[in-house]
Formats: sequence, structure tokens, C-alpha cells
Amino acid sequence: MIVPSFFKTTVKAIMQAALVAAVLLSGPLFAGQMESAQDLMARMAKASRELNYSGVFTYEHRGNLTSVKLIHEVREGNIYERLLHMDGSQRDVLSRSDKVDCLRTGDMLLRGNAYKINDDNYARLEDFYEFHIKGDSRIANREVSMVHVLPKDKFRYGYVLAIDKDSGLLLQSVLMNHAGKPLERFQFVDISIGEFSAELDSQIEAGQFGSVDQTDCVEKNRKVDTPQSMWQVDWLPPGFVLASYQSPSADGQESMMYTDGLAVFSVFIDSVQGTVLPPIDAKLGATVAVLTKADINGHQYAICVVGEVPRGTASQVASAIGLAH
Amino acid sequence: MSDHKERLEQSLSALMDGEATEMETHRLLKAVAEDPELRDRWKRYHMASATMKGDSVATSVDYSGAISAAIDQEPTHRLSGLAVFAGSAGRFAIAASVALVAVFGVQQLNSPIGSSLLDGDSEISEFAGVDIPAENTGPAIQFPSGFQPTINARTVSVGGNNKSSQRIMPVLEFQQQVQSQVKQQYSEAELRAYLNNIMTKHSSHAALNSNQGMLPFARLSEVGSQDAVKGAGEASSEKE
Repeated sequence: MIVPSFFKTTVKAIMQAALVAAVLLSGPLFAGQMESAQDLMARMAKASRELNYSGVFTYEHRGNLTSVKLIHEVREGNIYERLLHMDGSQRDVLSRSDKVDCLRTGDMLLRGNAYKINDDNYARLEDFYEFHIKGDSRIANREVSMVHVLPKDKFRYGYVLAIDKDSGLLLQSVLMNHAGKPLERFQFVDISIGEFSAELDSQIEAGQFGSVDQTDCVEKNRKVDTPQSMWQVDWLPPGFVLASYQSPSADGQESMMYTDGLAVFSVFIDSVQGTVLPPIDAKLGATVAVLTKADINGHQYAICVVGEVPRGTASQVASAIGLAH
Repeated sequence: MSDHKERLEQSLSALMDGEATEMETHRLLKAVAEDPELRDRWKRYHMASATMKGDSVATSVDYSGAISAAIDQEPTHRLSGLAVFAGSAGRFAIAASVALVAVFGVQQLNSPIGSSLLDGDSEISEFAGVDIPAENTGPAIQFPSGFQPTINARTVSVGGNNKSSQRIMPVLEFQQQVQSQVKQQYSEAELRAYLNNIMTKHSSHAALNSNQGMLPFARLSEVGSQDAVKGAGEASSEKE
């Protein structure tokens, strides 16, 4: 009986070794099959513009919850979007259309392109955030990949994102501050993808869709500029680039919008409106607004920085705005 | 089931209700350490009570789950300093603090909002305390050097609430710097209108230039609402 038992242990040992080898080998194999987080982000950027989808999502901050219905469709190269608040006081339905091939700075960055700031400097999303795929979950009855986006500095917030495995659509987005506290959350509760909604037909026919400004569409590695502005921003948080510029309007307001691909903040400079207002340091949900005053040659200006960035970032930008040299 | 076991389970229920004696607690701790079945029961009790809490404070459940998951899977989370809490004790503490925030939110909801939040010279409402920098700890939250938030400021809270409804409305706090001693030339409504205006423009841009598509417009839901505007009109900042 000695030989069979020896034989048995040998077989067992071989099987164990095979098992270990299989596990070791399959690790890299699986890793190879998996989409990298950056690929996921790029797919998400593309999907959110190019797919047809409609659904209901909730927006939540500080114990407030609202629900919103969203329809997004692409017809003949145009994106039609319609947004309807489902609760609270009756508000205007927002309807707008955009060209599907108009890519903006945020898109370029999200899709993983290095974005040229000037001859020596490029902005790249992965220079300012770490991306980690955190396994699978289920949102709106769909399989999602969870992605944690961690800022590498204190100038921007982090995100917990849930991206639909099948379509690449963003189904959940939680904005997290540096202490790991959620500041706000978007989450779809129900979504259908790839269908046309009859709801939009009559509206499109009736021309109820306002057109979105196309002047800030960019081509690869071409940056938006502020040709006419008398202002300049002497300091920007690293990675943020100008994404849009509006020259002074009839009511004396000009604006600049900056993004790092995920976070966005806007700078408004008013020469009429807002100049009677006091300096403000406001926070509304995840959005901060910092308003400072400037006196240039006896003329009052209100400079306001608004965005989903830490208060410190907004204040520092606000204090770095001055006359162009 | 043995008598011993039955007694232990009764003690377990008592402990959950905060009614266990010291001796019972000691005996339970010892038994739980040795008995996986009892440990599972203990877990189930906790899960059940968490779920019950979740019914009333829905946000706490998900957030704590998300955060503890983040801690579990992210030992190298540099900025949050959460690695400190990698142990289960830390996880519990964070879950508890999230629950606290959420419970607090509910208390706010049930209290007569108009009284405290609309009081012009109250300190920043605790509601707003959720994200006051001073409350955050750890090096990550430090402001850039040479730069401080406006500490030398007086605080005004404007609640956009509608007293006739029980629905909680957004609270907009802003700090107005003391150095502007100029006599007020603006009204609360003007201020809110201005903020609404730039928020709308900002959101429309964010919708085109962030990962979230149209979602940023959801942030406007409350700002632009009639109730909020009315609330702003009622509130006063005339406190010097």
C-alpha cells in the first residue's frame, strides 16, 4: 500500500503546482484583457456625446435630492439634449443642440490627448489624477466598472465614477473632497440606451432647440485664446487650460472658462453688473463662488470665480487676475 | 439549541439594544471570538440595524459603503490620509461619522428651518459645516501657501426656504468681508440674481467641458427655483 499512497501524493503535488501555475499565468492574461482606466475615460467621453440615451438621474448634495430626466440623441450630426426637472417648482425645460463633431478642450483632455498649453508645456489628465479601476458594481440595473479618480494635488477634487461596461456611459459620479467626504452625487436610476425617443420629434420639428455656441470647438493641439481681453490670469492651478472665452457683452461681462478635463471653473469679469456687490465667498453644494473687487483707473470691476474646485483654488485664481501687460 | 447558546443569543440582543450587563458583555465578547456562527449573527444584527437607519437616512449607507470600499482597496491613498483608518475600527469610525452627518441632516430637516438658518447674524449654520475647511483634517486640505480663506469675515446665511412647505431648500452661505464697510447698495435679491446668472453660465460651460454631459445643469435645480428667490427676498443681511 506504500506505492499507491506515494503515487497519490505525487499526483496531488503536481496538481497543486499546475493550479499555482494557472493562477500565476492567468493574472497577467486577465490584466491584458481589461480596459485600462484611461481607456475607460476616453470611451466615456465619446459615449456621452455620440450615443442615444434617455433616463432619469438623481442629483444629491447635503441631504437634498432632486431627480432629473435626460434625453440625449444624435440625429444627422447634431446632438439634441433635453433636460427636465422632475420635482420641485416648475422650471424651464432645457433643450439644446450641438454639433457631434465639435470637440472641446474638456473632451480632448478626457480622451487622453496631451493638450498643448504653449511650446514647452502640455496638459495631460494623467499628470494630475490617478485612475484606479475598483471592480464591478451595478447601477440602474446595469453592470458598471467603478473608477476612482484621485487628484494628485490639492487644487482639485476627486471622483468616484461608475461607467457602464456595455456602452461606456457615465452612470454615477460622486465628487469627493480631500478628506474623502462626498460633496455631491449624480446617479442614474434608470436609463435606456440606443433608442430614439418620440418625445423629441415634435420639438425638433418646432425648432425648440437652442443652439450651443460652437466657437470653442478645438482641433487637436490648438488652444483657445483671449485675443481681445484686457485681463490676464497670472496663476492657474496646474493642468487647467482655457476652454472658452466670451468677449465683453453688451452688459459689460466677459468670461473665461478653464478645465483640466474633469473639473471646470469659470471666471467672470463685470464692469457694470455685480460691481455694487460686496466681496463674496460663497458655497452652494459642491460649487464655490469667490467674488473680489478691482479698481482699475477709477473704474470698478467685479471679478468672480465659480466652479467645482476647492475654495482655495478659486480664491487663488481670483487674486491672480489683473490687467494684461 | 443548548441553554448556553440560547442565553448567549439573548445577551446578544440585549447588547444590540444597549441593555446588556457588564458580565453579559464580557461573556459575549469571549464567545464571539470563538464562535463563528455567533459572529455571523452579530454581523446580521448590525446589517439589519444599518438598513433600518438607511431607510431614514438613505445617503449614509451608500456613502459609508463607498468610502470604506475605497479604504479597503486603496491603501496608497495619499491625499486623504485614510490609510490610517485601514483597520476595521477606522472603517467603523468613518461610517459612524458619515452617519452622524446624515442624521444631522435629517434633524435639520425636521427642525423649523426658518428660525435658525434665516437668522442673518447666526454663525454659519451647522448644515454648512459639512464642508468648512477647519473641520477637515490632514495635510491634504491645507490651503496653498500664503493663502488663507477669509477668516476675518462675518457670516451671513441665506436660506431659500419656503416656510409653508416641509421640503428642505438650499442654503446659500456667503462670507462677506468686513473691510467693505461701504453702506450696502445692493439687495439680497440682486446678489442672488447675480449668482444665479453666473451659475447658469458656468453650468452650461461645465456641461460641455467636463465628464458629465448635461449633468451640471442639475446643480441649477434649486438655485433657479422660485422658492429660492422668494427666500432670498425674505432674508436680510442688514446686520452691522
